[in-house]
Amino acid sequence: MRQVYIAGYARSPFTPANKGEMAGIRADDIAAQTILGLLKKTGMDAKYIEDLILGCAFPEGEQGLNLARLVVLLAGLPLSVAGQTVNRFCGSSMQSIHAAAGAIQMNAGEAFICAGVESMTRVPMSGFNPLPHPGLTQRMPGAYMGMGTTAENVARMFKISRAEQEAFAVRSHKKAAQAQAKGYLTDEIIPISADGYSASQDGCIRPETTAEKLSELKPAFEEKGSVTAGTSSPLTDGAASALVVSEDFLRANGLTPMAKIRSIAVAGCAPEIMGIGPVVATRKALQRAGLTIADIDIIELNEAFASQSLACIRELGLDESKINLDGGAIALGHPLGATGARITAKAAQLLQRTGKKFALSTQCIGGGQGIATILEAI
Amino acid sequence: MIERIEKVAVIGSGVMGAQIAAHLANAGLSVMLLDIVPDGAKEANIVAKTALEKLVKMDPAPFMHKSFVNRITAANLRDDLNKLGEVDWIIEAIIENPVIKSDLYKKIDAVRKKGSIVSSNTSTIPLGVLTGGQSEDFAADFLITHFFNPPRYMRLLELVTGPKTRADAAALIRKTCDEVLGKGVVECKDTPGFIANRIGTYWMERAVTAAIDLGLSVEEADAVCGKPLNMPKTGVFGLIDLVGLDLMPLIAKSFLATLPTDDAYRTLHRDVPLFSKMIADGYTGRKGKGGFYRINRDPAPDRASDSEARESAAPKKGGKIKESVNLQTGEYAVSKDTKLSALENAGKDLRKLCEGTDKISQFAWTCLRDGLSYAASLVPQIANDVVAVDEAMRFGYNWGDGPFELIDRLGVDWFVDRLKREGARIPELLLKAAGKGFYKTINGKLNYLTIAGEFTPVKRASGILLLSDVKRASEKPVFKTGSASLWDIGDGVLCAEYHSKMNAIDPDIFKTLQEACKIIPSSNGKYKALVIHNEGSNFSVGANLGLALFAINIASWETIEQLVKEGQNTYRQLRYAPFPVVSVMHNMALGGGCEIHLHADHTIAHAETYTGLVEVGVGVIPGWGGCAQLLGRAYHHPKQRKGPMPALAQVFEQIATAKFSKSAFEAREMMYLLDGKHKITFNIDRVLADAKSAALELSKNYKAPEPYSYRLAGPPGKAAIGLSVGAMKAVGKVTPHDEVVIDTLSDILTGGKTNIIKMMSEDDIYKLEFEGFMKLIRTQGTIARIETMLETGKPLRN
Repeated sequence: MRQVYIAGYARSPFTPANKGEMAGIRADDIAAQTILGLLKKTGMDAKYIEDLILGCAFPEGEQGLNLARLVVLLAGLPLSVAGQTVNRFCGSSMQSIHAAAGAIQMNAGEAFICAGVESMTRVPMSGFNPLPHPGLTQRMPGAYMGMGTTAENVARMFKISRAEQEAFAVRSHKKAAQAQAKGYLTDEIIPISADGYSASQDGCIRPETTAEKLSELKPAFEEKGSVTAGTSSPLTDGAASALVVSEDFLRANGLTPMAKIRSIAVAGCAPEIMGIGPVVATRKALQRAGLTIADIDIIELNEAFASQSLACIRELGLDESKINLDGGAIALGHPLGATGARITAKAAQLLQRTGKKFALSTQCIGGGQGIATILEAI
Repeated sequence: MIERIEKVAVIGSGVMGAQIAAHLANAGLSVMLLDIVPDGAKEANIVAKTALEKLVKMDPAPFMHKSFVNRITAANLRDDLNKLGEVDWIIEAIIENPVIKSDLYKKIDAVRKKGSIVSSNTSTIPLGVLTGGQSEDFAADFLITHFFNPPRYMRLLELVTGPKTRADAAALIRKTCDEVLGKGVVECKDTPGFIANRIGTYWMERAVTAAIDLGLSVEEADAVCGKPLNMPKTGVFGLIDLVGLDLMPLIAKSFLATLPTDDAYRTLHRDVPLFSKMIADGYTGRKGKGGFYRINRDPAPDRASDSEARESAAPKKGGKIKESVNLQTGEYAVSKDTKLSALENAGKDLRKLCEGTDKISQFAWTCLRDGLSYAASLVPQIANDVVAVDEAMRFGYNWGDGPFELIDRLGVDWFVDRLKREGARIPELLLKAAGKGFYKTINGKLNYLTIAGEFTPVKRASGILLLSDVKRASEKPVFKTGSASLWDIGDGVLCAEYHSKMNAIDPDIFKTLQEACKIIPSSNGKYKALVIHNEGSNFSVGANLGLALFAINIASWETIEQLVKEGQNTYRQLRYAPFPVVSVMHNMALGGGCEIHLHADHTIAHAETYTGLVEVGVGVIPGWGGCAQLLGRAYHHPKQRKGPMPALAQVFEQIATAKFSKSAFEAREMMYLLDGKHKITFNIDRVLADAKSAALELSKNYKAPEPYSYRLAGPPGKAAIGLSVGAMKAVGKVTPHDEVVIDTLSDILTGGKTNIIKMMSEDDIYKLEFEGFMKLIRTQGTIARIETMLETGKPLRN
């Protein structure tokens, strides 16, 4: 089998939706500039790119049509570069990486840009025209259930207290703030500017937050619930991208590999508790890699909500000291389509930085799914 | 010479300066707000900037739309003085210190554009003092424009010119304040406190000292000095709480320093030890810990000595209790509901109230005797005529009647006679009014008594058309029912006036409107358009719920069916009539009082318009075409996002949350006014003239509009609404009966069982409205909501 490598990572700043610095910028602009930044950073010649595989959770309005192809054109890449838009909600851009890996192994291309983008400012969650199937809504309310409600369900089912969630959120902000202070994030961020708006660093991190402050917030989704805005990932604008190539291409073009993809998996679960999706997906991926969780040194677990993150940690028996070393989505933000590429490439980056052997990136997905990728150091 | 004011600078970003700037911005002017640079400030504009930030958060809102803050630029007096050269009008609203003002004026004069106008918002310093030592040009371009707080909401603008003020400068400012800012401009003479505060301060102190001397409680005094005198229900103690107790000694000091030596205020004024103590203790009014009234948020049960009063006074929620101070002891106790027999016996008869013998009557008489005599003694000292004084008190203190109108209510001869009997001094003007009164209708025109003792017509500025003037000049209406009339307002335009109680909508109003639909087309060209307008305090607060509840109680469902159908038919008849219909919105136009406007060809809105489809508050849905018309507007709005949901979501949110606009500009955002088509008029006295000219314009080659057609989302749209309602319910924002009402509303707005491939007609939506209304009106939850609204005036959250 052909080996698949991650050979580059770049992302835009992640800024708060509506009030952040990129609120005035369209998703296609954010994505195009991020991708150009990736090409520049890796020294990759765009003419060799087979396809831009671009994840987006609500591909309509300004991020509608075949966004990927439009971003290729907007970025001024050679016309030979193809583009496909992928939607697996929050798992969209991790799915981009999986799709590229499959294509490479199928001998259907050598080099791919695997990216994702979301302007949660400019296209609201659920889009502009949600029209759920009335029958399915009745029969299976979970199918269209709001994510906050699923987070409450998980908190109840796995007995995750509000205080535990808040402590987790505070740790996420601390780690992200430290990473930012140490300059760990600087390298991966491509400054974005368009239409008089510009951003050059992350805007969601709150280093000053404390458990006491968080304890004052009102529940956001249920009157007597335990999940608050402080223990949920914020609505965010941003894009992330990874360069995914074959071993032959890597050698021939003198690129620097970051990590090798060892295994991938997706799996479904009950939509009402979609937050535990990573559990099933991770188990599958581990089995396919021939590894156990103890073998994993670095974990990127998407923090959609503190409650589901803690539930996954418990169910999988994860060691929290290995998780989200540079902070997670509660602190950094979660532009839905962009997160999968960010955490997978971040896991690769952390393998390089720490010199460890195996990494896992995994996320939960609305509608009841999980997605996971296992990486191996070079 | 400047033809039009476009750019304005306001200097001083205190409470008044900042809010004046906000109101100028409301009116579409470009505004620069300047203040000093504090010592050591890093950001030079920090003072003005901070003021702008505060403006946005203030309640009641100084801005008519939150975006209007962007029309104001923050600036400072150190770096930006030169920019004053770009503006047409400079308003000074800095500290009341003649030396500081004089210094500033010299700086302004050095940089301002030739012919630009400078005005001061001073309330205490005479114009003569302000222009002293300034250049001739400055004095020619200078005047006083005294706004009242809050400037957006208070209509009065006192205009004071000096002997050197250019007449054309004064005319331009008068016109701008009237037509652009919507103010009631009253010309005052250059005397201390001008008109409104001179009389208002005297009035407040008179009431306060009389209450203390006669041993009245603050509740009793305010009960008299409110509704019975046709004055705001805050009374005087409530008003002082609003103004700030701590300001009263400052105002007194200023008056004592400037008033003529024989002014009656000097005899009246005295220091009240209790008030000084209250101020010292922080009881400075609503801005402080409370004043004569305070809200006790944590009432200790053991202090409930008068538990009955506590029960009646206590609002149900949050344990808040209104307390008032005892004027004798200074202690607070639970405020009591005052039912005063003297007031009940007198009803609207002021003279009867004054003729009573108890302390309430004595109090009313003392206040009126001294207050009205004082006002009468000041004309022509402070104003050219009685009209100016009455307008100043109506516009500046929200009195229903000005002092001279009150004297007419009492009867001038009776008033003078009683003054004589009591040996009181009788102002000369009162003697001139003997046997005549101050106002009189002569040849269909309102006349007032001049200081020479002759009657002369009250002048209206050009472009002002008042229905009350039309009515005075007309022998009788063209048609009349118990609730509405049709008036001929000239040039072939009829005006439908509602005059039911609170302008509630009932079958008589429908009958009147239907009559207009008959009269106009069959008038052989005599009439060509209809205007719908009234001069009530609100346009209409909606349907007559009492009537509906009566029908419900006797289970006369046919009556209600009839009422709904009649409303739909009447409004649709107006919409598709062969003549134009122009409606005028002002103040509250709610529920059924909003739906009528949605059927008009054109709407003129007063800037202070509070409108919306608020029917769910009483458990029903808009049943007189409100859903159909708002949906039609939303789906056909040029700025609407594509697809079946965005228009639906907007309409649903507005109706389901009973949202109403807090200005005409918000009403525009909510599609109750159409962008670029419907006019917003700032001066309420000009709305009818604007409506009439719009109606005449439309009547040229008039063609009735085409009915809307709709492609609605059907059950998937309803499912989408269900999801968002579910999310709201989870956080406790949806009550059980809300769910019932919302379910029916979603059915109507999504077109019931329609499929998105089908086109629906207006008929279909009116039918869904009718069925939905009839379904809800029979539910216990809705009936309970209607009962509660009628009993308490507040919505029930069941």
